[in-house]
Amino acid sequence: MLPYIAKRSVAAFFMAVAATLAVFLIAHMVPTDPILAMLGDLAAANPDTVARFRAQWGLDQSLLAQYWIFLDGLFHGDLGVSIVTRRGVLEDILQYAPATFELATAAALLVVLVGLPLGILASIYRDRWVDHLARVVSLIGVAAPTFWLAFLALALFYGGLQIAPSPGRLGIGDIAPPHVTGFYTIDALLAGDYDTFYSALAHLVMPAAVLAASTLGLITRTTRSSMLEALGQDYVRVARAKGLFEAQVVAGHALPNALIPVVTLGGLAYAELMAGAVMTESIFAWPGLGRYTYQSAVALDFPAILGVTLVVAIIYLLMNLAVDVSYALLDPRVVRR
Amino acid sequence: MNRFGLSRRASLKLAGTTLGALLVEAKLGKLAYAKSADTLVIGMDISDTNSFDPGHQFVYSAPITMHATYETLVTMAPGQYTTLLPLLAESWELADDGGALVFHLRKDVKFTSGNEMTATDVQFSFDRLRNLKDNPAELASNIASVAVIDPHTVKIVMVDKSQPLLNLLVGPTFVISDSKVVQAHGGTSAADADKTDTANKWLDHQSAGTGPYILSQWEPNAQIVLDRNEGYWREKAPFKRIVIQHIPESATQLLTLERGDIEAAMNLTSAQLDGLKDNKDVNLIEGTSLDFVYMTLTSGKELIPELSIKEARQAIAYAIDYDGMIQGLEGGYATRPPSFIPNGLGGATAELTKEIGYRHDPDKAKSLLAKAGLEKGFSFDLYYGDASVAGTTYQLVAQKLQSDLAAVNITANLHPLDQSAARSKFRAAELPSFITFWNPDGPEAWTWASATVQRVAKRVRWTGAPLPEVTELVNKAGAAHSPEEQDRYYRQYMEALIDQANYIVLFQPIYRVATRTSIKGWKLTAAGWQVDLYDVKPA
Repeated sequence: MLPYIAKRSVAAFFMAVAATLAVFLIAHMVPTDPILAMLGDLAAANPDTVARFRAQWGLDQSLLAQYWIFLDGLFHGDLGVSIVTRRGVLEDILQYAPATFELATAAALLVVLVGLPLGILASIYRDRWVDHLARVVSLIGVAAPTFWLAFLALALFYGGLQIAPSPGRLGIGDIAPPHVTGFYTIDALLAGDYDTFYSALAHLVMPAAVLAASTLGLITRTTRSSMLEALGQDYVRVARAKGLFEAQVVAGHALPNALIPVVTLGGLAYAELMAGAVMTESIFAWPGLGRYTYQSAVALDFPAILGVTLVVAIIYLLMNLAVDVSYALLDPRVVRR
Repeated sequence: MNRFGLSRRASLKLAGTTLGALLVEAKLGKLAYAKSADTLVIGMDISDTNSFDPGHQFVYSAPITMHATYETLVTMAPGQYTTLLPLLAESWELADDGGALVFHLRKDVKFTSGNEMTATDVQFSFDRLRNLKDNPAELASNIASVAVIDPHTVKIVMVDKSQPLLNLLVGPTFVISDSKVVQAHGGTSAADADKTDTANKWLDHQSAGTGPYILSQWEPNAQIVLDRNEGYWREKAPFKRIVIQHIPESATQLLTLERGDIEAAMNLTSAQLDGLKDNKDVNLIEGTSLDFVYMTLTSGKELIPELSIKEARQAIAYAIDYDGMIQGLEGGYATRPPSFIPNGLGGATAELTKEIGYRHDPDKAKSLLAKAGLEKGFSFDLYYGDASVAGTTYQLVAQKLQSDLAAVNITANLHPLDQSAARSKFRAAELPSFITFWNPDGPEAWTWASATVQRVAKRVRWTGAPLPEVTELVNKAGAAHSPEEQDRYYRQYMEALIDQANYIVLFQPIYRVATRTSIKGWKLTAAGWQVDLYDVKPA
């Protein structure tokens, strides 16, 4: 098992680097000069200033040399300096990534805690009210655009009913807990600051629910159909014939067999939650990676775009790896084969 | 036990825990709003803020903070861009036959570190600014050298005395920083400062100025926290703390303002502001900007031959329904200057526009077309970026222009571009016609006027006569010593530009900000820092 994981990890890293090459080439086909776009009107009209800034980011060199600069930095743990923020790209990513990871992880937890049970119940009580409820929830989740859902939730729970806290990660003007993981909930607990912990948790609920909506819909539907198939199998009839509790039949016999497609989908969905939170982050004023990515793309900030690509590619590849490994755990035949 | 093997007690426990969690959420929601009355919270899009180092900062949202934490030698009152007021300098005069400025500094000013503010700090700040050679250094290009005469007198020698400098010194680029503190954190004003200065990282998160507030926290894309400077040399600031909360979505800003979580919303759309007119808890504050949206027409024969004929360009200018654009697109919240100097500077006013500026006159446009030998009309390519100004997209402006021009048989083919791509193509003089935006480097008419005869002239391929004569007018206006003399030259300059018709200024937005009635003293300025937070007080 371990050599298998090691081999896959190394391959995953090189695939992530290959992904940056693709993005690098696409970005350079756009007929825009990021330096001219970044500089003010006066500075952009000064050829010396333009030349100095182009040289600073290696933009005066050949494409191949520019990509080599990126690779060379990468193997020294340096992702370069952003043209727009003028800070290290790694520094920027470390600044924004925890907010997004915390949000995506909370959303993923909601998906597992709500979507999975809802799908299972829908399959057991097929065509009863639970099933109808699940159908409505998943339909709304899959069909409603995120920005619409986000704003509706904010207007209703924050603006109208006034039971949700303000947008942002903490109350306005609150000071963040000492930085350890960058997850405010965990950092607040580590610091023993329960007020901040509850505040961070309360601020997390609504954006996480909105972000989770579409994935939750997908997982509910998949779990339901996959469970229905498993529940119709002979081994389930045998289990029932043995006189087991229904809970034991469902949890011990049907569920493990039904989980394989759900896990495949879940892995990709988690990666997507992290990479696709731009809308949710904008409306909930969440200082995450999504907005940073958007800003970098608009400004053609090459170092930042490459850095974010690398991170997103690594997340996808790691999730794929995790999915493969969990297959082996769920289905022993995968390893034996 | 039920079908799932869960006891009744376990089921109840589960339901109870869930309900409890929901209630805790609700209660916390309420708790989170308890906000101290001596804190001012501003909701704003601060995504462009990338530095609070005076030598590097060059964006739109940061100057509010810069102006609250640092101070300049001289300043201007909101809406008044011709009269200079003393701030760190008590008085000033021209020296060396107009080639230098001498400033006499206040003697009672201390930095937040406790260090006394002296002429050395002025010299250090301006030298560092110039030698960092970043974006803002371009504004200081007319400074040849800065000399300390005595601890409270400083002399700035200009490169070219016919170019103005004094009015530019009010801007957030020319703030005075604490030389000892900046040097202690790696700052230098030496000639190689662009390579050796390392104070940037420190200055991004702390301030080293004399202002009424101190920068105590900046979290990019999240919030800026300012604390009161307890040792301020004037009367202490009214708020203990100011939080500038990053809220990029205008709809979210509106909700937080209505809920009372923020006291001012900086980026509301026109429709959202109109919706607040009847809200008794909210004041709408207006301020005419010094920004404008304009359209260029090339003189380059090789791009569009028809546009190289002056009368054809003038025909376009007289075919545009300017008032319809201001009413329809800006809801009336805009004005229009005669030419490339905004109303409020260089003698430009809305009245002067009526006198000498373009007006909507389709018959005149048709006769101009006939004069150009284009009775049947012509077509040209109109470019614009996928961006917006004051809530109006360039797309809408372009569509309005297209329909106005169609009425006189001129066909505008619309070409939307990515905003970055559009800007770099425009700067490379590749676009025959472009809709874009001008925002000020400082409240000094010369920065507008000189651009139109220098770098922007290249972008519209204006090379021949009367460029030398117009350039001469701009230089005379820059060197003029009385406002009357200056306005006279600027008027001649604007008339020449109107005749030339390479630049058609469409509208100058009036910006609006919504504040809650719990605060007062919020006055918008277009001099470069949007609002002076020192003036804002609890109501």
